[in-house]
Amino acid sequence: MPLTEGVINPENKNPHDMFIGWDKAPAVDRRFLLGALPLGLIGAGGASWLIANELGDPGAGAWLTNATHTVTGFLATHPYPMIRMPDPAAPFGVRTILIVAQGKCTSALNFENLLDAPVTASGFLIQRKGRQMLEVPPFADEWLIPAASENIADNISLPKGGTNLPVFVTPMEETLGTARLVGTIMDSKCFFGVMKPARGKTHKACASLCIRGGIPPSIWVRTKDGRETVMLMTTANGDPMPMDILPLVADPVEAEGEILRVGDLLQFRADADAYKRI
Amino acid sequence: MGHEYKAIQWNKNKAVYDVYVFIAVAIFIGVFMAVGLQTHPSGHTADPVVLLIRALGATAFAMLTAILVIGPLARLSPRFLPMLYNRRHLGVMTFLVASAHFGLALLWYHSSGPLNPFVSLFASNPLYDSIPGFPFETLGFAAFLILFLMAATSHDFWLNNLSAPVWKMLHMLVYPAYALLILHIVLGALMMEKSMVYPIITGAAFLIVSGLHLYTGFREWAADSGMKSLKTKGWIDVGAPNDIPNMRALIAPLPKGDRVAIFRYDDKISAVTNACRHQNGPLGEGRVIDGCITCPWHGWQYKPDDGISPPPFTEKIATYNVRIENGRVFVDPKANPPGTRTEPAIISVQGRLPQCP
Repeated sequence: MPLTEGVINPENKNPHDMFIGWDKAPAVDRRFLLGALPLGLIGAGGASWLIANELGDPGAGAWLTNATHTVTGFLATHPYPMIRMPDPAAPFGVRTILIVAQGKCTSALNFENLLDAPVTASGFLIQRKGRQMLEVPPFADEWLIPAASENIADNISLPKGGTNLPVFVTPMEETLGTARLVGTIMDSKCFFGVMKPARGKTHKACASLCIRGGIPPSIWVRTKDGRETVMLMTTANGDPMPMDILPLVADPVEAEGEILRVGDLLQFRADADAYKRI
Repeated sequence: MGHEYKAIQWNKNKAVYDVYVFIAVAIFIGVFMAVGLQTHPSGHTADPVVLLIRALGATAFAMLTAILVIGPLARLSPRFLPMLYNRRHLGVMTFLVASAHFGLALLWYHSSGPLNPFVSLFASNPLYDSIPGFPFETLGFAAFLILFLMAATSHDFWLNNLSAPVWKMLHMLVYPAYALLILHIVLGALMMEKSMVYPIITGAAFLIVSGLHLYTGFREWAADSGMKSLKTKGWIDVGAPNDIPNMRALIAPLPKGDRVAIFRYDDKISAVTNACRHQNGPLGEGRVIDGCITCPWHGWQYKPDDGISPPPFTEKIATYNVRIENGRVFVDPKANPPGTRTEPAIISVQGRLPQCP
């Protein structure tokens, strides 16, 4: 091989045609850059367009942080914090709004002596396809107050009892049968609309942290015809899911369990060891 | 060159370079956000924060890919030298974009929970024994740490105090960082996005970076191999004086793995190490300009006969003894201490090339 080949580039015979950073660029370099630099900018924009345009559908859902939403109903904390209210327009005449804290620590919420009592709660509404959730401040009390009877009458049509307080009967649990589900474990808050997308491996750590912090886990199932169903996950006894479920969050899983309807909410009851990664 | 330190060194070319990179980054992120927010129908719009995290991550990957292709491209054509010139600023800007990606992801996905965000980063996904389930965040964090180390030591202060070879070795960590970044993408975004565009783009970037490095490495290896057979009597026969273009150099491999650059400037021939004192740039691919060997990477200069930078600079590089016998140029493979003056070999009238205009 001639010595002038290889690492030596034979072009550019004029020594003053070499680009030196502290000197004026040679004409040959200026001509090259005038063509290459616009191409670089077009390439950057084109590559960015291609990458962003191919992103998967993040799904439905909304996190309405531009206005405070107020609901009045009955507070329950088992298996997860929620407010129920009679609503003729809702499926089975009951509307359930899950309660979560801002951030990822719902277990920090203080409900004190308001359980099963009529309450008024204020926060940001999170909703996805008819399912609703209220996000409230974790370290403040004002978001949850005993409901005044006039407010109850104004906001929702609750039947009145003889004590001037509304009467509300917790909806009966209706067993729909046993089923083997194939789906994905989600943290309900992100899935309902706080994060989009809220699925898949890139969201696994966040979902795991949310569920660890007390946000209700749900199992998301997509039927063959494309319909999606989301069920609140509890143990076989109807208790909150233990932390054993965390490694399986956001992964495809299958499990056999019992499906129940409690008011307008579906529950999937199966112990943590019933879930298998597929 | 390095006679004084400044926090950030700019000149006109560097300023133009930085403005151009800033515009390119703004276009990349702006287009990403605009398209990402419009791609899906109302009600299915992606979370702007998640979109920004992705835009920053994609930008950092594109910038690091560009950084890694500039080097071999500049070896293949001097037209790419202007892009190499201020690569250090490009590296620091890449680190800043990567920092924004990392900080926002840590804030959005790992903060406000029951665990310290850094604990969550490592503990929220415990599937370390699974390849497809492996916590890709840890790979990105490792790459980020390397970028931090490189950005923190990017200043000439560290270059001078760590010494060029150590500094260069430290900054070769960019290759493990790129590999970690590829794995971060493959085991993260590519595991959830269904479009084939992503594996194609990621694979193409990897192939271009590795292909260019392999190709330029092969060229150097081939050139070195061609020179090894020319060794005689301890000194290295690098060819006839006419083989060396005027004001330029031949590069010859040495037995211990170093390279020597043999420059011809008019009737004289001198030899110096091929590694620039600044960033180990290939001096032999430079030129003799205004009587000084000028590095193609950043324009550092040395006098050919003693390897010392012209005043007021004081940098020194190793020189080699050189002689001409029977129309052949021989180089002593034993390096002289940096800054040692050597007598240039004088080309005889018979061996002289036609004078350049």
